[in-house]
Amino acid sequence: MLHVADLRKSYGDHVALNGVDLDVEAGEICGVLGPNGAGKTTLVSVICGLISADAGTVTVGPFDALANNDQARDLIGLAPQETGVYPSLSVRDNLRFAGQLVGLWGAELGRRIDEVAEAFEMVDLLDRRAHGMSGGEQRRLHTAMAILHRPPLLLLDEPTTGVDVGSRVRLLRTIKNLAGEWGSAVCYSTHYLPEVEALDATVAIIDEGRVIARGGSEDLIAAHATSAIELRFEGEAPETLASLPCRRSGEVLLVETPHPAAELSAVMGALGGHSHRLRAVELLQPNLETLFLALTGRRYEADGPDDDPPGDQPSRSGAGVETDGSDR
Amino acid sequence: MGPTDASTAARPPSRRSGARGRIWAVTLQDLRLMRADYSFLVIMVLMPLVVMGFLKGAFAPAMVQLGVPDANGAEQAVPGAAVVFSFFLVGNVGYVIFREHGWHTWVRLRASPASTSEILAGKMFAPVLSSVLQLGTLFGVGIPLYGLRVTGSLPALIPVSLALAVCLTMLGLALASLCRTIMQLNSIVNVGTLLLGGLGGALTPVESLPAWAQTIAPGVPSYWAMRGYRSVILDGGGLSEVWLPVAVLLGFALAFAAMARVLFKVDDTKVFMA
Repeated sequence: MLHVADLRKSYGDHVALNGVDLDVEAGEICGVLGPNGAGKTTLVSVICGLISADAGTVTVGPFDALANNDQARDLIGLAPQETGVYPSLSVRDNLRFAGQLVGLWGAELGRRIDEVAEAFEMVDLLDRRAHGMSGGEQRRLHTAMAILHRPPLLLLDEPTTGVDVGSRVRLLRTIKNLAGEWGSAVCYSTHYLPEVEALDATVAIIDEGRVIARGGSEDLIAAHATSAIELRFEGEAPETLASLPCRRSGEVLLVETPHPAAELSAVMGALGGHSHRLRAVELLQPNLETLFLALTGRRYEADGPDDDPPGDQPSRSGAGVETDGSDR
Repeated sequence: MGPTDASTAARPPSRRSGARGRIWAVTLQDLRLMRADYSFLVIMVLMPLVVMGFLKGAFAPAMVQLGVPDANGAEQAVPGAAVVFSFFLVGNVGYVIFREHGWHTWVRLRASPASTSEILAGKMFAPVLSSVLQLGTLFGVGIPLYGLRVTGSLPALIPVSLALAVCLTMLGLALASLCRTIMQLNSIVNVGTLLLGGLGGALTPVESLPAWAQTIAPGVPSYWAMRGYRSVILDGGGLSEVWLPVAVLLGFALAFAAMARVLFKVDDTKVFMA
């Protein structure tokens, strides 16, 4: 359903997409993972024609999305990163507009509104104005507007931003249904790794504008991720600890071992004169986070600089406020 | 949420509505938004009705001096206030575009199957309707309320009002294309309303303007709107007498639409607040 090849986009000197390759089949959920600034939002924006690409290929269904985006947009449902709802209108009117804009009218539109309201547990909210709802409720409405017409390709750009735990669970369940039962291809952009695992999604890890890993998350973890002991020092980490296999990155030293708990005492004993500078120790098990670490040599940091073009996107506000903390 | 049969699986939306359906969808949405908050339109109808009352007495001697012996001042006050306040609605056109940016719904619109032309076409209907409602109410209420005697054909006011509404809507689109922030747009609209209103003879009869102003007055739309209204109100004109003002107003509309076509960039960032 989606084919992206050698896609490139720069904003001045900043390279946002540096040759992205990505294929997503009908019925597949692809978790597009990467820290902020990796290029996720730029990728989504190029696919649906919001910004132009410098080079490359994007095909949506049978259509060349770079040459003929009007036709490609017929097949796309987009929930952008910013929450976009009409605050002075009711939930029902917001959904009604989303449906009418894609050609749903009359009884069919009514059925779809009821259906999506039930899926997102918004039946009681249908006649409430959006400005009276919480940020999480607005976010659910925002995503529901993209899903209403069951698009063959659904692009969700960090859909759970600002959403409470319960809403997130419902949203993930609805997305799984959409892919599993309706056959939609879903590109689920996020920097929250557990959501991808919850969706049973395949993974595309983007870093510095390139897809550095693509496949099933379990396969990728089995192939690349290792368990390790992470030591964080005050100041520069030592280059080695005795004869242990280590990787240093600034103040962090990574000791790769298949049995981190069993090796911990040996590692601590090998610290020697560096022990007084030790600030934190963490045992890392094989997962998407250690996969990213293995592929890039860096810890996965969700909070990097955004990849939006400088000055071309509004700042986050209102319901779309980034909350990286307590509700996750 | 579950499939009932294979025909309801994920698929492109129905194309039966096509471009007209998408334009109508955008129009309906703006009408819903207008219904949800119509306070601006109410103010833009009530205020000129009050102002007409203030100005009517002051205009009476001026109109007598201009050769209307039984004038009561409403001949200038009613169309003048209607034209001046109709210009304030130019800002409304920009508002319907800028608010989409402020609500982050512009991205959603752009990512929809609707083309930029379809979005803009849909967005122009509500402002035209607002202007027509405003002008219709001002004449409908102003004529009996202030004893305005219309010597010509009352229906001839309709094409002039429609042409003015289209002209102002296109002017609003051109200005919205030009401006980056809503404050820039509001400033231009507020100053421009007084300037164009004064120059076109809406604030005071054009005959009482300085000679240089009378010379350039035909270069502004308000002049032609006032000429059309006065032709019907004072000179006994009918549909055949207002065709020139109507044609000129529509000419202005075309020029503003051409400006908008050049200036409007769909991926421009518009700042709704501050």
